[in-house]
Amino acid sequence: MNSKQAKQILVDNLWFNNPIFIQILGICSTLAVTNLLSNTVIMTLGVTFATAFSSWTVSLLKNLIPRRVRMIVQVLIMSFYVIILDILLKAYLPEISKSLGPYVGLIITNCILMGRAEGFAQGNPPAAAFWDGLTSGLGYMWVLLTVAFFREFLGFGTLMGYPVAPKGFVPWTIMVMAPSAFFMVGTLLWISKNIMAAREKAKGGKA
Amino acid sequence: MNRDSVFYTIIFTFIVTFAFVLPLTLAEQGTSEMVAKNTENARRKAVLTAMDIPFTGDAEAASLFQGVTAREKDGEVLYTYDKGGKTVAAKEFFGMGLWGTINGILAVNGDVTSTVGLQIIGHNETPGLGGRIDDASFKNQFRGEALKDGKLKIRSGAEAGGGPVDPGDGVVDGITGATRTTQAMEVIVNREIGDIKKLLGASR
Repeated sequence: MNSKQAKQILVDNLWFNNPIFIQILGICSTLAVTNLLSNTVIMTLGVTFATAFSSWTVSLLKNLIPRRVRMIVQVLIMSFYVIILDILLKAYLPEISKSLGPYVGLIITNCILMGRAEGFAQGNPPAAAFWDGLTSGLGYMWVLLTVAFFREFLGFGTLMGYPVAPKGFVPWTIMVMAPSAFFMVGTLLWISKNIMAAREKAKGGKA
Repeated sequence: MNRDSVFYTIIFTFIVTFAFVLPLTLAEQGTSEMVAKNTENARRKAVLTAMDIPFTGDAEAASLFQGVTAREKDGEVLYTYDKGGKTVAAKEFFGMGLWGTINGILAVNGDVTSTVGLQIIGHNETPGLGGRIDDASFKNQFRGEALKDGKLKIRSGAEAGGGPVDPGDGVVDGITGATRTTQAMEVIVNREIGDIKKLLGASR
């Protein structure tokens, strides 16, 4: 992997091929965890770690894995990283483990992990696969943090649990509920597609 | 060897599963003692916090816990603590939430006329919705909330969301958007109050 490829992967995963608003993967967790910023930070760090290492491992083993059990082996690898992280946190950082509790299962079933393992790691060398997994996680992270920022601010009037809203602010209850994430993701999708289309037009291509 | 042959597939699956599961088993076994210690620590701290006994750090919590009397009857442990002549009683509960078991500690005063505190040890409620039963804003309402006719009401559904209410009226505020979890908590807390009453009565 040269620096040009690395940059291309980074830009693709953060923007042109973003896992959330282009590939529409990992939507379940996007709806579930984004009403509080602190939960979102934990979840996205977990996903980034798990995607990077599982993609790397899948790529290392890609020439050994029989095609017909390919996906089962991929899920095994993902579960391994998520569970080992959970075991270590439980023993050494019980407080963080408690807040991570409900998310462990959500990380294993996150479609982004499977998508990157299947779509990229299976056909690319380990270093590139690791970088792809890491940047996919970051692409997921920035979108979720943006969604969570607005949901927590409007839904609770707080950011990371600290009250920031002016006095007399009436929280928008809808923002606490899962459906509001659909509105948020839809809005982000609309904005990003518009920016992409405008750039295409400026380049002289057809929008 | 043919990578898609049945023989290779079986051998490969066996080896790869073994290779990944073995370290997990070793890690789980190796840390089980630490995890048990952490769990016990967390439970002790939950009992102390529910009983409104302040502490800083694990060591102080452990020494303060020595002062708490634990009595077992029919497999139920009742914790009592003499707080300047006033008895505080607490008990661990396991109740059914929306998705799974809610586990925690409820503390009440000696004559069971008001709650002293509530702590949540574990739950599987929706993060950000039902999961907010573990937020300070919810739990703090149980500090010195008087019971009405021996019962506590938790506002749920359209009634929830008014913020903390008068500690004298036997009503605490529930969680907006988590009606089912709030209702479950009301059932659990009231059943727990009844159980503690029974255990306290039996020990006298």
